[in-house]
Amino acid sequence: MRHDLTRRCLLISVAGLSTVRAGATTSTPRVACLDWALAETMLALDAPPIGIVAASDWPLFVVEPALPRQVADLGLQQDINFELLATLRPGLILTSPFLENFEPQLRRIAPVLNLSIYDDSGPPLAQREAVTRTLGQRIGKHAEAERFLRQAGQSFELARQRIAQLPHRRLIVATFVDARHVRVYGGASLYQNVLRRLGLENAWRTPVGYFGFATVGVERLADAGDIHFVGFDPLPPDVAPALRQSTLWERLPFVRAGRVSMLPPTLPFGAMPAALRFARLLTSALERASA
Amino acid sequence: MTATSVRLSPGFLVTGLATLAGIACFLLLAAPVSQLRATQGPEAIYDVTRMVLIYATLPRLFMALLCGAALAAAGAILQQALGNPLASPTTLGVDAGARLAIALTLIFVPELFGFGRDAVALAGSVLATLIVFALVRNRGFSAISIVLAGLIVSLYCGALAAILTLVENRYLTSLFIWGGGSLAQQSWGPGLALLWRIAVCLPAALILLRPLSLLDLGDEASRSLGVPVGRVRALAVAVAVLFSAFVTSAVGVIGFVGLAAPILARLAGARRFPERLLWSCIIGALLLLLTDAAVQLAASGSAQFVPTGAVTAVLGSPLLLLLLPRLKLTQPPIPTNPGQALPRRRPAPVWIVMGAGLAILLVLLRLAGRNADGSWALFGFDDWHLVMPWRAPRFVAASAAGGLLAGAGFILQRLTNNPLASPEVLGVSAGAMLAVAVGLFVAGPLNAIGQNIAAIMGGAAVLAMVLLMGRSTGFAPERVLLAGVALSALADAVVGVMMAAGDPRAVALLSWLGGTTSGTSANTALFALVTCGLLAAAAALGQRWLTILPLGSATAQALGTPLSHARLSLFLAAAVMTAAATPVIGPLTFVGLLAPHIVRAAGVRHALSSLCTSIAVGAALMGTADCFARTIAFPIQLPTGLVAALIAGPFLLLLLNRGARLT
Repeated sequence: MRHDLTRRCLLISVAGLSTVRAGATTSTPRVACLDWALAETMLALDAPPIGIVAASDWPLFVVEPALPRQVADLGLQQDINFELLATLRPGLILTSPFLENFEPQLRRIAPVLNLSIYDDSGPPLAQREAVTRTLGQRIGKHAEAERFLRQAGQSFELARQRIAQLPHRRLIVATFVDARHVRVYGGASLYQNVLRRLGLENAWRTPVGYFGFATVGVERLADAGDIHFVGFDPLPPDVAPALRQSTLWERLPFVRAGRVSMLPPTLPFGAMPAALRFARLLTSALERASA
Repeated sequence: MTATSVRLSPGFLVTGLATLAGIACFLLLAAPVSQLRATQGPEAIYDVTRMVLIYATLPRLFMALLCGAALAAAGAILQQALGNPLASPTTLGVDAGARLAIALTLIFVPELFGFGRDAVALAGSVLATLIVFALVRNRGFSAISIVLAGLIVSLYCGALAAILTLVENRYLTSLFIWGGGSLAQQSWGPGLALLWRIAVCLPAALILLRPLSLLDLGDEASRSLGVPVGRVRALAVAVAVLFSAFVTSAVGVIGFVGLAAPILARLAGARRFPERLLWSCIIGALLLLLTDAAVQLAASGSAQFVPTGAVTAVLGSPLLLLLLPRLKLTQPPIPTNPGQALPRRRPAPVWIVMGAGLAILLVLLRLAGRNADGSWALFGFDDWHLVMPWRAPRFVAASAAGGLLAGAGFILQRLTNNPLASPEVLGVSAGAMLAVAVGLFVAGPLNAIGQNIAAIMGGAAVLAMVLLMGRSTGFAPERVLLAGVALSALADAVVGVMMAAGDPRAVALLSWLGGTTSGTSANTALFALVTCGLLAAAAALGQRWLTILPLGSATAQALGTPLSHARLSLFLAAAVMTAAATPVIGPLTFVGLLAPHIVRAAGVRHALSSLCTSIAVGAALMGTADCFARTIAFPIQLPTGLVAALIAGPFLLLLLNRGARLT
C-alpha cells in the first residue's frame, strides 16, 4: 500500500514536471498564488493563477482586475488549505515574506517563489515595478510585463497632467475603522507613493507605522485644515449615521465644503494594478469635485 | 481584606488621585487653552483648537469620568451583593458577554445601533452572568469559584469573538479597537446618551442602598430584619449588569476599573456600604480619567494606537495577583467527595470504549473531506495520496494534544477538587501565548521551531511564577488556579493591545492563538503522539496520589502522603502536558476542562482508568474538532482549538443543566 502510494506520487509528479517543462516555452506553469498583490499582478499579465487565498473576498476588496470564475479559493491566508492546494497540482507557488512560516510545507507541494511587496528597500512603486518584472520572467510573461509597465507609466503620466489642471489642494487618504477612528495613510504606503507620482500633496505629517498607516481618532483630522478628504468604500455599517451625529465631523471645513470623496474599494497593500486603479479613481473623483 | 492597622481616609487617596489626574489634564489642556486665549479675535474663522477642545477633548474627559464612575458603581454593588471582594463586571464575565454580543451584531445585524445596540449588549451581559451563576451553583457561590467561572466565561466569549473575526476579517481592527475600549469622542452626543441611561437606573441603585448595607450583618440577621435577601441580591446584580452593559455598548470593554475602584475605596478605609459606593464612584472616575489622559499624552504624535480599555486591562489584571495573598480563603461550603457524589454506575470496559472511539475516528479521518468544488468526497476519492500527507498529521497531532490537555485537566481537577480546574486555567497556555505574541512583534515572523521554543519558554516562566507564589501557601489549589486565570487575563490584554495597533501580522497571531493545525508536519505529529504516551505513563505513576488527594489534606496527610511534594509533582506534570499541547492546538480549547467531566458522568471512578479514559475522550474530542475544522467552512480551514472550544462549550452547559453534580 505504502509502496504503491509513493510510486504513484512519483509517477504523477514526474508527469507533472514533464508537462511543465514541455509547456514552459509556450504557456505559463500552473501557479497557485498566496498573496493578493502578486495575484492581481498575474491577472494584469494575463496569466491567471489556478488558485488564490480568500478568493471569495476578492470582489469586495480588490474588484479589478476581475477574478476569473475558475480560480480556486484556497482558504484564509493565515490558514491555507494545504489539502486543496495539493490536489490542484500547482507547478509553482507564489508567496510573500509574511508566509515564510509555511514555506517548508509549501515546498512539499511545489517549488516556491517568495516575492517581497512590503519592505523598506525602496519607494513602493519602484519596488512593485521590479516585482512585476521578476514575476513576468518567472512565469514566461516577460514581454507582457514590459508592456504592462510601459502602459502603467503612461497612465500615471496622463493622470498627472489631468490633475495638474485642477486647483492645488492637499489630500488626506484614510479608511474608516469605525465611526470614531480612521486609518490614515502616509509614509511608505502605496497610496502615499501614488500621490507623489501624481504631483499631489499628502496633508498627513505625523509619523505612521512600518506599514505606512496610523490609526487615530477622527478629531486628529481637524489639524490638517483645508484639505480634500479621500475615503474608501465599503464603510463599516454604522459609520454613516454615526458621522451625521458627530458634531466635530460635521464642522470640519472639508466636510462643510463637501470636499469628501469616497472611492470604490482598492487594495491598500496591492501592487501595480491597485496603484493604477487608485490613481484612476482618484483623478476622476478630484475632477468631479472641482467641476 | 480589611485594613484595620492602617487608618487612611478615602479623602486622602482621592486627593492624591485628583492631583495626578489634574496634572495629566493640565498637560493635555494647557496648550489648546492658552492658544485659544491668544487667537481670540475676528481672525479665528476656522478655529481648529477650539473645535477640538470643545467637541473632542472635553467630551472625552467627560466620557472617562462617567464610564469610570459607572463601572466602579457596578463593581461596588456586585462586591456588596455577592459578599465577594473580587466581584466586578470584568471578573464576572459581564463585559465579555456584551463584547461577544456586539461583535455578533456588527457582523450579522450591522444596521443596529442606539438602543438596539444597548439591548444586544445587555442580552449578552445577562446571558454571561447567568452562565457564571449556573457554573457555580453547586459551589455555594464561593468568592473564588465565582471569579474563576467568570473569567472562564470571559475567555470563552473571547474565543468565540476571535473565531468570528477570523472568518469575517473585514471588521478585524474595528472589533479589536472596540474590544479594547477606546474613549475617543467627536461630539457630546454619546456621553450625554450614556449619562441619561445611567440616570434612569440610578433610583433603583439608591433604593437598594439600605437593604444592601444590611447584608453586612450576614444573611440570617438581615432576613430577620425583614430584608428579602434573595430578591435584593438579584436586583443589585441586575442594576450592576445594566450599568456595565451601557458603558460597554457606548465605548467598548474597559476592564478592571470596576474591580480596582471599590477595592481601593475599601483599602482606603471606607467602611459602610453607602460610603464605599460613593468613594468607589469618585475613585473609579478619577482612575479612568488619569489612565485616559496618560494614554493620550503618551500616544500624541506617535503612530501607535492604543485603546484605553486595553491599558486598564493590562494594568488591572496584575491587581488580582497582588490581591491574592490578602484574600481570606473560605473553604467551599460543600466539599463533596468525588467518589460518592454520583450513584455508582458500572462503566463499560475502558479498553472497549477506547477501541470503539479510535475506530470511529479513523473512519471519520478517511471519509470526511471535500473536493475543490466544495462537494463532499466520501468514496472513490482520486487524490487520496495527495491529501493524506496533510490530513493525517494534523489529525494525529490534534488528537494527541487533546489527550494531553485532557490528562492535564483530569490531574488538576483531582488535585484541586475543583470542577472548573483545567489547563487553560492554570495560566500555562496564557504564558505560551504571550511569549509567542511578543516574539512575533519584537523579532518579526517566527518559524515553527521559533514559535514552539517561545511557547515552551513562556509556559515554563508562568509555571515558575505560579509555583513560586503557590509555595508560600503550600499550593492551596484555588489560589494557584486564580493566579493562573489572572495571568490568562493579562496575556489576553497584552495581545489585545498589540492587535488594536492594527498590524497585518495580528491576523497570523490570531490564527495561531486559535490553534490552527493545518500544515502540521509528520514529525510534529509523531512528536506529539510520543509526548502524549510518555507523559500519560508518567502521570499514571501518580495514581495513588490522585486517589488520595481528593479526600482532603487532613486525610491525605493521615495516610502518609507528602502533601507539598505530591502537589508540586502533579502540578508539574499537568504543566508540562499543557506546554507540550499548546504549540500544537493553541491556548484555548476547553477540552481539558470537559473531557474529565464526561468521563465522570459516564461513571468511571478509579483514578487510573479515569486518567486513561479522560485522555481517550480528550483525543476523540479534539480529533472530531479537527475533522469539523477542516470541513465545515470549506475551503476555509477554521482553527481546530477554537472549534474544539465551540464543541466543548455546549457539552459543558448540558452537563450542568442535567444537574450533574460536578464535585
